[in-house]
Formats: sequence, C-alpha cells, structure tokens
Amino acid sequence: MLKSFVPRASRSILRPLASSTFAPSTYYLVPRRGFASETEEHDVVVIGGGPGGYVAAIKAAQEGLKTACIEKRGSLGGTCLNVGCIPSKSLLNNSHIYHQILHDVKNRGIDVGDVKLNLTQMMKAKETSVTGLTKGIEFLFKKNGVDYVKGTGTITGEHEIKVNLLEGGEQTLRAKNIIIATGSEATPFPGLTIDEQKVVTSTGAIALQEVPKKMVVIGGGIIGLEMGSVWSRLGAEVTVVEYLGAIGGPGMDTDMAKTMQKILAKQGIKFKLNTKVVSGEVSEQGVGVKIEAAKGGKEETLDADVVLVAIGRRPYTAGLGLENVGIELDERGRVIIDQEYRTKVPHIRAIGDATFGAMLAHKAEEEGIAAVEYISKGYGHVNYGAIPSVMYTHPEAAWVGLTEQEVKASGKAYNVGSFPFVANSRAKTNLDTEGMVKFIADKDTDRILGIHIIGPNAGEMIAEGVLAIEYGASSEDVGRTSHAHPTLSEAFKEAAMACYSKPIHA
Amino acid sequence: MASSIQRFSALAGSQLRRQTLTRGFRTASATNAAQAMTMPAMSPTMTEGGIAAWKFKEGESFSAGDVLLEVETDKAQIDVEAPEDGVLAKIIVPEGAKGVAVGTRIAVLAEQGDDLATLEMPAEDAKLEAKKEEITPEQSTKQQHTAQTKPPTVEASAESTPAASHNHPDPKRPQHPSPSVMNLLKTHKLEASQIAGTGPKGRLLKGDILAHLGRINKAAPGELSARLTKYSKLDLSNIKPAAPKPKPAAAAPPPEKEAVKPAPPKESELAMPVNFASVSRVQEKLQNTLGVRVPLSTFINKATAAANAALPPAKSAPTQDELFNDLLGLPNSPRKASRGNFTPTITPLPRKGVQAVEFGPSTEQPDIFDVLIGAAPTRGVAARTKPKGPQEGILAGGENLLTLKVPADEEERARVFLGRVKGLLEERAGELVL
Repeated sequence: MLKSFVPRASRSILRPLASSTFAPSTYYLVPRRGFASETEEHDVVVIGGGPGGYVAAIKAAQEGLKTACIEKRGSLGGTCLNVGCIPSKSLLNNSHIYHQILHDVKNRGIDVGDVKLNLTQMMKAKETSVTGLTKGIEFLFKKNGVDYVKGTGTITGEHEIKVNLLEGGEQTLRAKNIIIATGSEATPFPGLTIDEQKVVTSTGAIALQEVPKKMVVIGGGIIGLEMGSVWSRLGAEVTVVEYLGAIGGPGMDTDMAKTMQKILAKQGIKFKLNTKVVSGEVSEQGVGVKIEAAKGGKEETLDADVVLVAIGRRPYTAGLGLENVGIELDERGRVIIDQEYRTKVPHIRAIGDATFGAMLAHKAEEEGIAAVEYISKGYGHVNYGAIPSVMYTHPEAAWVGLTEQEVKASGKAYNVGSFPFVANSRAKTNLDTEGMVKFIADKDTDRILGIHIIGPNAGEMIAEGVLAIEYGASSEDVGRTSHAHPTLSEAFKEAAMACYSKPIHA
Repeated sequence: MASSIQRFSALAGSQLRRQTLTRGFRTASATNAAQAMTMPAMSPTMTEGGIAAWKFKEGESFSAGDVLLEVETDKAQIDVEAPEDGVLAKIIVPEGAKGVAVGTRIAVLAEQGDDLATLEMPAEDAKLEAKKEEITPEQSTKQQHTAQTKPPTVEASAESTPAASHNHPDPKRPQHPSPSVMNLLKTHKLEASQIAGTGPKGRLLKGDILAHLGRINKAAPGELSARLTKYSKLDLSNIKPAAPKPKPAAAAPPPEKEAVKPAPPKESELAMPVNFASVSRVQEKLQNTLGVRVPLSTFINKATAAANAALPPAKSAPTQDELFNDLLGLPNSPRKASRGNFTPTITPLPRKGVQAVEFGPSTEQPDIFDVLIGAAPTRGVAARTKPKGPQEGILAGGENLLTLKVPADEEERARVFLGRVKGLLEERAGELVL
C-alpha cells in the first residue's frame, strides 16, 4: 500500500502539529519526563485497588502507616466489584426472581399477570449496586487517610513508582514498601477473538444488551455456570462445553459436581463434558463453535449468538515494570513470592490473583491484611486450608477443606456424613429442598477435613464450616452445638451428627 | 509463655508517646518461671533502639500502669508501661545502651511474691519464639514438669485474662474445651491438663482425648495435624520461573496489543520530500565560524531521535476494559503518547514538486547513512565507502525523499513523525547541533 503525504505549506509544517502533539524544540531536544512531581515518601504503596489492594491499603492506614493506593480503572474495587463478583450477583439474584415469578410462584398461591423482562432496568439495578459499592471504598479511603492515586503505576526503582495519571501528567511516588495487587484478566481462548459482543468474557457476559437465543459457554467452572445460569433463566438456550469430566472445576467434590450438574440440567442448561472446542468462527449470524470429544471423535458444530469464554483467568502484570527491579514471574505469569509474600526484592510483596493460590477475592483480602501485618508486626495469618469456595447458582454450592477424592487419595480412613435439605423443616416450608450437606472427617480423630454444601444459601452456611476447620473442630463439636429451629442450618448440624453418630431427622 | 511480654501491639507513629504492654502479659506463678522482656518495636520500621532509662531497680516491684523504662528511637523517647503488677527480677541490658536490636532480651520479669533467688530464668531463645508464637521444647518440658506437680484445674485456668489466653493458649490447659472434648473429659473423669493438644495453637481436640484413652492410635492426632498444617500454607513448591524473554525493542508496543493483534500486520508506506538546503547552510556556518565539519548524518540522527519523542498512541485494537467501557458508555482513559522507533529512508528526489511517488519495496536500497557519511570529508570513513550510483547528488541543498514503512495501525504516528523530521531539518537545523 502506497500513500503519499506531502504538506501543502512546508514552511508551516510545525504549526498545525504543535497544537496537539508537538512541543517546543527545546523540550524534545533535551528529553525530560515533564510534569513529574516528587511526593513525600509513603510507608506503603499498594498497586491495584481490587479486593486485595484496597483492603491492604485500608489495613495499612489503620496500622498507622502512611499509605497510597494506585488504581488505573477510575473506580476502586477491581474486577470483583466492577465486572466480576458483584455485578454478576446482582444479575443472578434478579434473574432468579424473574425465573421464579415465571415458573414457581403459581404453586405458592400467587397469580401474576403478564410478566415481562426489562433487561435495561435489570442492568441499571446492577450498575446502582456497583456504583454504590465502589464509591463506598472511596469513602473508606478518605476515612482512613489512604492517598488514592488514579493512574497506571510502573515500578521504576526499588522504592520508586511512576504513575501515569488518568487526568494527564505523571506523579512519582516513593515507598518504603510496595504491595503488588494487580489481579488477573480472563484467559483468551486461542483462535477466538474477544469482542465482548458475540465472543465475550465474564466482563461482556454481565453487559449483554439483549438475551441471546443460543449461548455456548466454554468452560464449566464457577464463572461459566453462574453466567450460564443468568442467561438461561432469562430465556437463552445455554450449552456448557467442558473439557474435563466434571463441572465446577478441579476443586469441587465429585459427588457434589454430579448432583449440581443434575440440578442445573433440570433447569434447562445442556452439558457437553469431556468435550473440547476445536475452533470458532464469527459471522454475521453469530458464532459457530466446532467441538469434538476430548479423546478425539466426530466433530460437531454448535451455533450460538453469544459465546462465553470462561476457561480461567491469568495474572495481570503488564506494564508494571517488574523487569526494572528484577522481580521474576513463573511460567504461568505469577509473581514469584515466599511465604511472607516477599518477591526477590524483600520490601516489594505480591498478593492475590497476581501470584500463587486460588483466584478468589476473599483469599486476596486475607493476603492483603497478612502482607500489611508482616510489614507492621512481622507476622500475618492466612490459613490456606480454610478458604471457602462458593458458586452462586441456584441452589448455591459451597465448600471448604478437602474433597472426598483428595481424602481418598491420601489413603487415610475417613467418615462421611450427609443430610439432605428435603428432610429439613425450613427448606420444606420454603419449597426449596434441592441439595444436601456433606461432612468428611478423619475416622480416628473425627477432626473435620472437608465440608461440602449444595443448597439454598450454601454460601452463607459455609462460614460455619470454615470456622470449624479453622479451630480444628471435630464433627461432634458441630453436632453438639445448638442451631436455631427452624433454620436451614439445622441440616448442617444433622450432617455433622450423621458423620460421628446418627442424624435425628433422617 | 516466656515470649508473652514482647507481644506489643506494634503501633506506628512517632506521636505515640506511651506504649502499653497491652497483650499477653501472663502471670508467671503457674510455672514458677520468669518471663523474658525483650526490646519492643515501637514502630513498624524500628529495628533497634536504645534504653534511655530504667525506672525501676532490680528486685523492685511495679504495678500495672507504671512506666518500666524509656526506649529511645531515632525519632523520639517512648515510655513503656507495665499492664500488670510484677517484679523486675533482673536487668540484662543496662541504661544508656544504644543500638539494641528489637527482640533482644533486655530484662527478666517475675510475679510479685516470687522468690527471686530460686526463680528459673527463661532461656535466651526468646527472640525466636516471639515471631513464631511457639513454645520451645525445653520450656514445654519444664511446664509439663510443673504441671504434674501442681496440676491447675480447668476452672482455675478460665480465670486468666481472655487476651492472654487468646494469644498464648497453653497446650496443657485449654481455656474453653470444645463440646466433644468436654463431653469426653466428663464421661471419663479426665483432667484436660493431663493431655497434650494437637489442634491449632495447641488446642485440645477430640482426637487427643481418644488417643489418651487408647481408643485410637496414639500418634494419629499428631500425624493428622502435621498433614493439615501442610494444607494451611500456600503451596510454593515446584515453582518454575518463566524463561527470560528476548530483550524488547527500544520502544516496545503497548503490551495490551499482543492478545488481539492480527497475525500479519498490513504495512503502509509514507513518503515526504525534504530539503537539505537549510542543513547545508548550518554546516557551512559551523565550518566557517568554528572550523568544525558536522556530517549530515548527525543532523538526520538528531532529528530522528527528537521526532520520535512522545508520538501519539498507535491505533491498536481496543482492550477488554475499553470494550466494556464502550458498551456501558463510560469514558475511556486516553491512550498515552509514547516514544516511537521510526527510522526513515532517504533517497534523492528525481524532480521537484512531487505529489505521489511510486516506490517499490526498499529491500535493495543501500544504507543511506553510509553514503551520507561517505560524502562528508571525514577521512577514515570516506575511504571506506563511496557514493553509489543512484544516490549521487542527494545531498547538500537538494530535494530528497523521506520514506517510511510502517504497520497500518501506526500510520498516524508515522505521519506525525515525518512531519517533525521535515520541520526540524528544514527550519530548525541550527538547533539540532546546539
């Protein structure tokens, strides 16, 4: 391709350019950074204002450290609050209500007239929740005296961070300690270009402007099943394609995954397990997704209006300038740290999705607090054996500790106690009885090894399980603790009883 | 236990005038062992400090709230208060000492009424303990010994302060046995103090009692605890560092581009005539006034470098965030200007006033700078390269053509770049060598 570019008046060539991009010659002949302003040294500078970063910043300020938090998005809360956990929970809750009105309330004695979906309003409700929460963090920053720097931070020296401010210009921060909390991004699927319209990640899936007729979800993990649920309830025909033989990701108990799959299939979601996506082709009409059995087999094409790529997330450290101070990443892009979150440069620590461990907001929060306490007190606490996972489908799935397959693999004898919600009084009155609670405890000592729940409000109920594991409780300890009647939590107690003795109501 | 006194809540801030030994001040009478007092960290950044003054002498007793000593840091002198009554059994680091590392044992404290002469002095490994909140084997055997001679009851232990019990659970004396433990203790008429705990921070668990009763393998609770401790830590085994990346070019493209960039980038070729008359004049002027011959290549190099500074951003495909913001109608943060790395090719212009020039691929073109330098009367270089056919006469005052091959999405940057080079060479040639 040949193009010519001949200025009309060569004499004035500098003038029109000067207005936008050209500076006086003295400026560019002696290049300097410009607008950089040195500020007072901070005790802690946190890069990233997500659940790990903002919690670390607030904690640091509460510990009396002079703290700044750098965030480039323009609003705090990171992926979780802006395009992840929070907006998806809004959609899950509201789509559940819609679905219930359409299919369920009649049995409960409520006749409704014409039910219509107003997707625009549903999205607005979501945005109201998000804005309220992100502004809330900004308020907490002010209250605790955290300096909020809006811009993109780059580590330029062991104690120096240059920030390209969103409003233009540059600011240089000096820090005694730096906490990297830059989070993660959706892993793209090779061969499918994300446009967030037809081929979407979770980010686009919470902002679709109309309900797709057909949706293909690549990846049967938590994100895929949650977003699949939303659009299935709103009327889409959803097919989940999963490479592995079970849904829920590798951390889910096999029994629970099977039960969950049955429940979701009953709700209308189609599953293609042990199936791999070969390629995808975007056209005017939509997307054609070619799949075949994971072990090889006949190819098949699924047509979809929208394809959700939910095959996982990868650490995001682009542009952070780690190479400037020699901080290493592992082969999957995670920042290499030690048990106290220190990188190769000891006063630079990394937490959350940017480094090792499960990519969970609450894990990042714990690490944020622990990293700050390592700085201020020399000791921090995170028990990685007691971090819960929750899937917010309906019913919800939640678990903590070891799965039965993990315990089995360890070769130690164990007890299992389970209790179905169908035998629980509160679940019965709610006409919401799917699911169960399952305890796994060491056979000898009765110490709880894992707790797995599928059921209404499982995500809230798991908190008790986490506490039990944190304190090294036995299933008998839980079984001998009073639980209010009539509540769903009685099922939790009865499952514990089933583990060391016998349940009363089953 | 001996470590309790150094569990100061490390509050920061030099304005903090008084620091209290707020936590974990346990009475020593239960074990008849004294407690080591270590150099407190008065701020998170403090690593060492001096002892300005001891307010009590050895053997003197103090009450809760009394200032025990003054600690000197680089910022301030801070009083350290005692939260409970006690006796200053022994001063190890005297007043006036400087540069005492945080965690070093500075004194030994005892309970009021303790016989100082027979008091057991805690071991010097207290420093290590403070960090780990653990009890050394040596001390734990000591405690076991005392526990057997003087078994405290469960009720008695419940009287100790909640703060203390929270931070320093004594493995022999669970403050609040869990329901299953209590059940077994009562059913089998056992004392909790007789049984060692294997739970988190030494808690007594159901398994410990079962093992004590001989119902299960004695080693089972300990083995399980060890196994679970492994899960409680972040798994950092088998880290495989990424292979070092090849060195990026002087000005790497914005990183977010790589994921969405189409495989073969379309190339555009831009051309712009430039007149070297102004450069020649400056060269002549310099030659006449200073007697220095500045080669044309210097001018071109400098103009290129200057023009590459802060070019408008390339039009790369939008990032995920930008797409999302577009969807919601939110404002995107503007792309930043960045340094370019364009190098133009210079060829003589066949005729004046050209609008569109046909240009083939520039693979055959010899390096123009060799030619340029060759033309300049710099001896050594002139001998090495000679002007070649088509390039003859491109210099000194003639019209030449700047050409540049760039990926399609960088066209805008390239245009700005060429405009600047032209402007610099034609109008600001003098400034280039100043």
